[in-house]
Amino acid sequence: MPKQLPIHPEEARARGVLHSPDIPLNAYEPDAAAEAARYGRDGLLRMYRDMLILREFETMLDRIKKDGAWEGIAYNHRGPAHLSIGQEATAVGQAYWLTPDDLIFGSHRSHGEILAKSLSAIHKLGVDELGRIMSSYFDGRILRAVEEFSDASDKNLAIDFALYGTLAEIFAKGNGFNRGLGGSMHAFFPPFGIMPNNAIVGGSADIAMGAALFKRVQRRPGIVIANIGDASLGCGPVWEAMHFAAMDQFHTLWEREVGGHPPILFNFMNNFYGMGGQPKGETMGVDVLARAGLGVNPQAMHAERIDGLNPLAVADAIARKRRTLEDGAGPVLLDVVTYRFSGHSPSDASSYRDADEMKRWQAHDGVANFRAYLMNNGHADADALDATADAVRGRLRAVLQATISDERSPRLSGRAGAQAIADVMFSRRQREATPTRTPETRLPREQTRLAQLAEKHRFGFDADGKAHPKLKTLTYTEALTEALFHAFYEDPTLIAFGEENRDWGGAFGVYRGLTEALPYHRLFNSPISEAAIVGAGVGYALAGGRAVVELMYADFIGRAGDEIFNQMAKWQSMSGGVLPLPLVLRVSVGSKYGAQHSQDWTSICAHIPGLQVFFPATPYDAKGMLSLALRGTDPVVFFESQRMYPESEKVVPGGVPVEYYEVPLGQPAVRRTGDDVTIVTIGATLHVALEAARRLHERGVSAEVIDVRFLNPLNLEPIAASVRRTGRCVVASDACERGSFAHTLASNLTQLCFDDLDGPIAVLGARNWITPPTEIEDMFFPQPEWFLDVLHERLLPLPGYTPTTEQSVETIIERYRAGV
Amino acid sequence: MPTSIPLPKLGNSVESSIVAAWLKQPGDAVKEGDVICTVETDKTTMEVVAPMAGVLLQHVAAVGDDVPVHGVLALLQGADEIATAYAPAPDATPAQSISAAPSAASPRARRLAEERGVTLAGVRGTGPGGRIIERDVPEASAPALPAAPADETRLTPVARAMVASGEYVAPNTGSGPGGAVTKADLKPATPTSEPIIETSSSTPLSGIRRVIAQRMRDSLQNTAQLTMHAFADARAVQSLRTRFKNSDPALGLHDITIGDLLLFATTRSLLQHRTLNATFDGKAVHTRTNVDLAFAVDTEKGLLVPVIANADALSLKALSNAAHILTERVRSGRIDAASLSGGSFTITNLGASGVESFTPILNMPQVAILGIGCVHLKPIEEDGAVKFVPHVGLSLTIDHQVVDGGPAARFLKTLAANVRDVDLLVFTL
Repeated sequence: MPKQLPIHPEEARARGVLHSPDIPLNAYEPDAAAEAARYGRDGLLRMYRDMLILREFETMLDRIKKDGAWEGIAYNHRGPAHLSIGQEATAVGQAYWLTPDDLIFGSHRSHGEILAKSLSAIHKLGVDELGRIMSSYFDGRILRAVEEFSDASDKNLAIDFALYGTLAEIFAKGNGFNRGLGGSMHAFFPPFGIMPNNAIVGGSADIAMGAALFKRVQRRPGIVIANIGDASLGCGPVWEAMHFAAMDQFHTLWEREVGGHPPILFNFMNNFYGMGGQPKGETMGVDVLARAGLGVNPQAMHAERIDGLNPLAVADAIARKRRTLEDGAGPVLLDVVTYRFSGHSPSDASSYRDADEMKRWQAHDGVANFRAYLMNNGHADADALDATADAVRGRLRAVLQATISDERSPRLSGRAGAQAIADVMFSRRQREATPTRTPETRLPREQTRLAQLAEKHRFGFDADGKAHPKLKTLTYTEALTEALFHAFYEDPTLIAFGEENRDWGGAFGVYRGLTEALPYHRLFNSPISEAAIVGAGVGYALAGGRAVVELMYADFIGRAGDEIFNQMAKWQSMSGGVLPLPLVLRVSVGSKYGAQHSQDWTSICAHIPGLQVFFPATPYDAKGMLSLALRGTDPVVFFESQRMYPESEKVVPGGVPVEYYEVPLGQPAVRRTGDDVTIVTIGATLHVALEAARRLHERGVSAEVIDVRFLNPLNLEPIAASVRRTGRCVVASDACERGSFAHTLASNLTQLCFDDLDGPIAVLGARNWITPPTEIEDMFFPQPEWFLDVLHERLLPLPGYTPTTEQSVETIIERYRAGV
Repeated sequence: MPTSIPLPKLGNSVESSIVAAWLKQPGDAVKEGDVICTVETDKTTMEVVAPMAGVLLQHVAAVGDDVPVHGVLALLQGADEIATAYAPAPDATPAQSISAAPSAASPRARRLAEERGVTLAGVRGTGPGGRIIERDVPEASAPALPAAPADETRLTPVARAMVASGEYVAPNTGSGPGGAVTKADLKPATPTSEPIIETSSSTPLSGIRRVIAQRMRDSLQNTAQLTMHAFADARAVQSLRTRFKNSDPALGLHDITIGDLLLFATTRSLLQHRTLNATFDGKAVHTRTNVDLAFAVDTEKGLLVPVIANADALSLKALSNAAHILTERVRSGRIDAASLSGGSFTITNLGASGVESFTPILNMPQVAILGIGCVHLKPIEEDGAVKFVPHVGLSLTIDHQVVDGGPAARFLKTLAANVRDVDLLVFTL
């Protein structure tokens, strides 16, 4: 689409053969002398100690799950434990060269990675810095608990801190790194560069890629690693993330000084099993996982297969690939061969693999072999290594006893615990008033399209009530544009991406004028990869930035279901409030385009805890609510109405202010006052309801019309006060009626207003059908006469009125029986 | 599909009836025409019969329920269906169509009625399915209830009603959800340590009593009642009554009573004073050409007022006959609803109880009612001497909104003359 990148037919049609690069397999050549020089005796022994810690930690959990005790300490762990016994070398080798600036994102099987990265970070950080981290994290609460049981100091204290914070999180204790709200599969610790571990297979791929995007765009040091399993290669979002990271524009269009591709390493922990399925030979056809790089870019993602049973091979690969990533030449794919001796989880009897196979892999056990390597090369004798193992077990006993103690390590419980969980569902903060960097722009603010927009009429009518010419009046689309301009010129971390966002200006023109004003890396087109669009936004926000991403039609939410419902919605609370998630997801409710392009899915989003859901119905709110969303730190699904895009402000007196303003969070707006019935609307249905209110007025019925504006959070009080006064209420929305948020509202308003009701609160939604083509969609979406009909049939018979549509209560049974 | 048995329309003015007794129980087989239950209207007791043969499935209304006209009383499974489908278990509870549910009052209407101190009994709902909604609640008819606490919405409905009774006071916040004040939070208005001794019994009002209560109250509230008393020379009445009593039974005059003679005299007097033979609907006075004479009958269930249509056209004997038949029917509860409505003037007679004169309450929408007192002796000066002459008391209440004292007094004068000369009046037809 960019004009500077013409597509040449001669090139496209030229005869030839495609050549692809060779993909090295286990190319590392051990060299004991070189290794001794490279790592030193201390480095090698530390690697061994770290591998032992991982092995013992996981063995301890394995025994606790299977026997209910370890080393005589009994405990019943009710939660999951996906153990990585056998995979220690991959985790320790990877972490060896990583600094706290480097970020790792993991999977359900990441205990080992958490510990290895912690141990590596503790080694690299100074004692003072470690002390600052531990005493500031949760105001030093975890550190105080550690100091009670540990007599260690300095770095050993920090190791106890890491072991205790991780184990407490696995056991859902309040002193866990995430207050016990994440659990085994979601433990992490950002100060050491350990980012969220994901229980959705492959879930970390696009999120880690988004974090890498943050590093690149904001010129932050460090690389980002997505630790995902071999079976996640079957997940669409993993491929989406790899293609996103490989987009040509990073080197063809983006300013050179930004630095090229996001520094993302897709690190496949290839233990040959996806739970019980076997990608190689059974569930996939790629044979050697590293081959997947060939499907992504001409560099085949610099893919290699690495011997993950040798920590030195892994450490070497990470050191080499770091340079590629820092040069902006990524992404990189590593196929790290390893093997888990434990089952998928303790319930796994390994019925899908042969005992002989497991026995053969035992001979390749990274821990045992590294011990032999150390002894054979004179780095340590057996006694010293045994002493290390004893020390590790002793340390773990103390940690385990402190963790299972309910006095030392209580869980969130009771009223205070419930409040604590409620408190971390949203971060409720606001953008810093004094940003650290100047926002990068191409034009001074005064020379942008903002100046032309400011000249437009801000209200649809003149003083005499005559409509202004459309082209000279600010529209809903342009009101959104103004809010975006403001945010882009205030917040240096803000970036926007999605399909057709840049040159086209967004499918509906919301970004028009921003293309000229912003450099590529702040506004760019993405692949048609809805999952990666949202996932990258999540990662970008978790890493410290703010993103506004767009899915064009609300119907495409389905393509990004996991990223919206499991990732965007959950990381603030699963992190125990540690990570804010300032991400705005723009989606529009379509019209005219039929069944897959016209659905109002606000109800689905409002159902998922952890999402804020906005739906402005007027240009004033479009600007004021987007401004609000772009200043907060919570994830917002921002619904827009395609029906409203070309419309000027006709409801809010005074029109759309030129200046910056915000709509108060969760506050509904009374659009028309009345005494006989309260009509509550969600989104653009407002305008249909206002027309209905005019018709009711002609029949002597005075309707109050309230636009909720926000589905979550929402202040019900003003709505309930209105319903108590009028005694009658219709809740209307363009969402399909069954299971809709309109029903949620109606049911709660009934609870709040029962004694004042003159009839049951009625719900008017779209029919439980497909959206039919535009020519006949008036059968589907609520129309003005539906309001009169439903009022007449269910609440307040209108004298001399004959309904034209079927709205009586009897039809409810009929429709539900038929399932429509 | 079960067939619903609705409450039939039992008369033009009947809006609802109370179920008096079930004669058929769920599971009973019924034939077409079998009496299923009896219902009590405001005026009489009626029988409801099965519209077809089958099995009674369910009582939708219970004894004592006030069922609106066309509301469902019971569900019946037709015999045809039973034969071809299934025999329902006696305790089967078939789905009930929503529209067939007895009409209810909305929470808002109930609360409003409570606040206004009015009853919703007999109110016809105009909401969907006959639901009584806010606009159907009658205007307040009693002085405002004791003021509720300022934050009235914080009271639960039960607590609100208890506070409204004046016997309880509410604290500012209570133990209910959101601090709502519940029944348990209320304190007696005047704390007392005396044990409460039951000194009275309470009886819920029957349908008839409820209607009487409402009508009497409505009458006093909505009309300007003025009662004037007069007395008529009763010698002719008494002497005719004696002669009738002693007459040959074959003449059929044997049962004509003093009361009948007074009915007769009244019908004839009204012909000369038509402004009293009228109804008033609040906007217009409808003067009636014929005298449809209503007369009050004291029954066990309460006061009932049957109507003798075209009474001014009946001979004394025919009039007496009609009055006796209607009285008997009213007392036995067998009167049809139509015979209990449409009167243009009412007579109420307390003569037999020894009351000389009283103040009858207007039978709305009629504009006048005549009360008959007992025959008693009055001293009269005649030919220079004082004699004791039997007189009958006449108490006329008029609606002063539309009838003035003058015409009323003139009617009484005519009536007194007609009573005095009733032995001549009987020849006028």
